[in-house]
Amino acid sequence: MKILLVEDEPELRRSIKQFLYEEGYVVESADDFAKATEKAADYDYDCVLVDITLPKGNGLDIVKQLKKNNSKAGIIIISAKNSLDDKITGLDLGADDYLPKPFHLSELNARIKALIRRRNFDGNQSINLNEITILPEERRVKVKNEEVSLTTKEYDLLLYFVSNKNRVVSKNSIAEHLMGDHADQADSHDFIYTHLKNLRKKLSEKGCKDYVQTIYGIGYNFKTEG
Amino acid sequence: MRLITKTTLLYFLISIPLLIFAFVYTFSVINEEITDGTDEGLYREKLNMQELIKNLDGARNIYLRSDSLTAIIVLPGKKKINSFSDTVVYDKLEEGELRYRVHRSYFFHNGTHYLISVCKPGMEEEELKEGLIYCFSIVFGLLLLSFFTLNILASRILWKPFRSTLKKLDAYDINAMSEIKFDPSSTKEFRQLNTSLDKMTQKIISDYRKQKEFTENASHELQTPLAVIKSKLDLLIQSKKLGSEELELLQGMENAVQKISALNKALLLLTKIENNQFKEQKEVNLHTLVNAAIVTYSDIYQGKGITSRTEFKGETILRMNPVLADLLISNLIQNAFRHNKENGEMRVELDPEKLVISNSGAALNISADELFERFKKNDGAKESLGLGLSIVKSIIDTYGFGIEYTYIQGQHRFTVKFN
Repeated sequence: MKILLVEDEPELRRSIKQFLYEEGYVVESADDFAKATEKAADYDYDCVLVDITLPKGNGLDIVKQLKKNNSKAGIIIISAKNSLDDKITGLDLGADDYLPKPFHLSELNARIKALIRRRNFDGNQSINLNEITILPEERRVKVKNEEVSLTTKEYDLLLYFVSNKNRVVSKNSIAEHLMGDHADQADSHDFIYTHLKNLRKKLSEKGCKDYVQTIYGIGYNFKTEG
Repeated sequence: MRLITKTTLLYFLISIPLLIFAFVYTFSVINEEITDGTDEGLYREKLNMQELIKNLDGARNIYLRSDSLTAIIVLPGKKKINSFSDTVVYDKLEEGELRYRVHRSYFFHNGTHYLISVCKPGMEEEELKEGLIYCFSIVFGLLLLSFFTLNILASRILWKPFRSTLKKLDAYDINAMSEIKFDPSSTKEFRQLNTSLDKMTQKIISDYRKQKEFTENASHELQTPLAVIKSKLDLLIQSKKLGSEELELLQGMENAVQKISALNKALLLLTKIENNQFKEQKEVNLHTLVNAAIVTYSDIYQGKGITSRTEFKGETILRMNPVLADLLISNLIQNAFRHNKENGEMRVELDPEKLVISNSGAALNISADELFERFKKNDGAKESLGLGLSIVKSIIDTYGFGIEYTYIQGQHRFTVKFN
């Protein structure tokens, strides 16, 4: 899987690159408009992450260029401007997703995975993880081929864990993922705890191993490896 | 006191001494002229009397009036007399005193000394005074009337540009960021006033715009470093070398960064609402929004065991920006869930005129007025950002709605009036 990252802030670029590299992606990066358009034209990518405000250009023009060249890459706009107009313009131009800064890397990771899944297999693909099978298109989960009935939030939580498996995901990032704009630190931890408790219960009832490890105060790790 | 009343009063005060002076002067002039005229008549009368004496057969007294004011009196000897004087005589017919002007003079004819006395009814000072007072009253009244009319006309016509300027200033809304177009005036002072006001408003607008842009830019600029910190923390917590102590430190940082992000986002949102950046307007069904918000927050706060009830009367469809409508409803409903007690209740009543959201909960320890101010929060809500109700207020202000808060019998109640 090849990803092009267009981001002018060097430290953020480094963080994203490192995180995605550890996920097993090949990450190319560009720090300005010219390099970005050059790379986007010369190579094929599975996914392109574009910052809107770039030195010497606008990230939206890169989206336009990719679409003009009939690129198959999925496009995620990452922007410091959480503006609805930018979002609508970006999505209208053909971008697949819009992620406002500041974001959690685990959130970015989950979005990239969902995007690649949708693009490559038209969504008709199941995620298999040991005894767990997730059918993303139908939002269904099976454990040892037995249906597990989950609420929306429980399903979202499981998919988020699976997307970030063997990674520590912070409680705050889970809260943001599940609650979106309604996230509020004061109340979110109880909320996550309740849903996690129910999810664990439902999975273990079907004989699923408890993969969720609590990482002291800060978050959880859905651990499927050693 | 109105300016016009003040000027009228001033003219009135000035006209009193002027009129008094005019009265005294006129009175004395008229008095003098009348006396001169009477005296001339008396002189001619005296000449007639002298002719009469010349035609007399012998020297004798002749009384032409019983009070001997008109008489020819034979004097025993020469007497130097030539006087004009005023006398008051009781008149039986008139039943009152009458004034007479009397001229006494000495005349010598045929060896006889005569005293000639002639009289004419004198001027009635009282009557003159009365007449004058009457005249002056009319003049004074007319003066007042004309001051008043003039002032009203002046205020209508001359002060018109001033009133128009005042009206425009009154109606001015700084948030609209538009310049005021003052009506042109031919009056120099008003032109100056308008020019000064023009300069002032332009300065205010430019400062206001700069300040708003600053808030927005500052918030945007903060997003990137926040994104860097967040991403570094995300990487750091992946490390396998961290012990519980380090993780505890990281958790503190993580939470603080999360809070800054949320604050920054809320401030940016407030600025955008105040800058009218949510332009799109369409028909929004509030029932749908209320129901959706209740579903969302019942889920989020399910641990609190809050029961919610809704009472909808009629369809409530408002023309609003959909994002702002959602923010308004969801902030108020979240508020009702968050500041509720365990196993408490919340109720939403919605009709086309108003939205009432009430919930059980302990009383506030800040005043109701402070509730909508930024960063004001109740002691019990330390973790809250203190911006939710400010966002609500700025949306309310954007649409000219009204909002009221009351706390009665353990119930917090927010009433939003749509008109």
